[in-house]
Amino acid sequence: QNILPVCFSVGYSAVALNHVIDFKEKKQEIVKPVSPSELFPSLPIVQGTTKRIKVLTRLTLVVSDPSHCNLLRSTSANIRLYDIIAVFPKTEKLFHIACTTLDVDLVCINVTEKLPFYFRRPPVNMAIDRGIYFELLYTPAIKDSTMRRYTISNAISLMQVCKGKNIVISSAAERALELRGPYDVANLGLLFGLSEGEAKAAVSTNCRATMLHGETRKSACGVVYTVKKPRKVEEEETAVPACKKAKTQA
Amino acid sequence: MVRFKNRYVLCEVVSEDPRCRQCIEDRTLGHAVRDAIARVHGDYGLACCSISFTVKYLNAYTGTVLLRCRKDSYRLLCSALPFVRYLENRAQRYPCFLNTLHVGGTVRTCQKFLIQYNRTQLLRLLQNCSNEEERQCIQKSLLSCSLTEEQSQSGDEEEDDGTE
Repeated sequence: QNILPVCFSVGYSAVALNHVIDFKEKKQEIVKPVSPSELFPSLPIVQGTTKRIKVLTRLTLVVSDPSHCNLLRSTSANIRLYDIIAVFPKTEKLFHIACTTLDVDLVCINVTEKLPFYFRRPPVNMAIDRGIYFELLYTPAIKDSTMRRYTISNAISLMQVCKGKNIVISSAAERALELRGPYDVANLGLLFGLSEGEAKAAVSTNCRATMLHGETRKSACGVVYTVKKPRKVEEEETAVPACKKAKTQA
Repeated sequence: MVRFKNRYVLCEVVSEDPRCRQCIEDRTLGHAVRDAIARVHGDYGLACCSISFTVKYLNAYTGTVLLRCRKDSYRLLCSALPFVRYLENRAQRYPCFLNTLHVGGTVRTCQKFLIQYNRTQLLRLLQNCSNEEERQCIQKSLLSCSLTEEQSQSGDEEEDDGTE
């Protein structure tokens, strides 16, 4: 509740609220996402640098078993309500499945422990072709020193495979003070082995592409929304289905 | 001509605790930043960055800090700034974080940026203003901010409330 005003004052223009679903416990229902307008009565908050703040909802599935992925294919109505869907694979096989066939926007890379598997090039390249982004968290790195080492080593091994493309850096902040401004997060990207342009893209253009990817997933397949992008306005205009082929799944 | 080139990093200290603002001093801040560099980059990083490292300007009301370092090592400094978690002053710890606003080559460019930034912040405060006197105060200070020649380093607009 109090994290969001800090986000806005620091200069972010879109924020996604995350719900994590873990399958290790007994079968959980996917809850309907809390709509942002319930949390904030004054949602269109006009900001210093841009016009309006977007608050999106996001779902993260922690999968450690292939049967959990069936949830994604099911036509549960609640899944459709989330703007962005992320998956957190725990094994190599699941990583492969997530990159190649699953219908997600983001693949989370574990930063809190040593990766049990190495990244291989084929699934990573397929994910890049499909428009799926890899996500790194930075809040554990700020909190704890051993987490920092795991974060950096996992991030650098990811960079060596994917050459810095399709990376999104995000925070899993639970308190307002664990947040960092966008310029700082781009500088953190330098620590992870990204080049300067790639690091800035990891905070700005890649995130926007993920949002668009989520939108195209929600709507009919194969449609690309063209958005008007004058610099300051955040509202999107829906579509002329463009003639460009979508990069996503068929 | 051989000249030492510096980079000036403009940051803002953001904290939830209002008492944190009062204890911002150049020594505590310098100490916190050096500590963060040592934790992230080790002895080599600390030694590289502290060749010409000082806190050049500090404004406790708005929490604005201007740091100076060498051009060769400003990347080490910038990448270690997110790791500053608290300021420590006489055995009191205040959790906070630094938000980098601008990196410039001279104090003057940073000053220009700071004036523009403060102007946008004042505009934002203007929108959230509740009563008429505050509104007039802010409007007056907005109209009077400019870069004059006499001022050496500080931006020269007045701040009415330091709750930024």
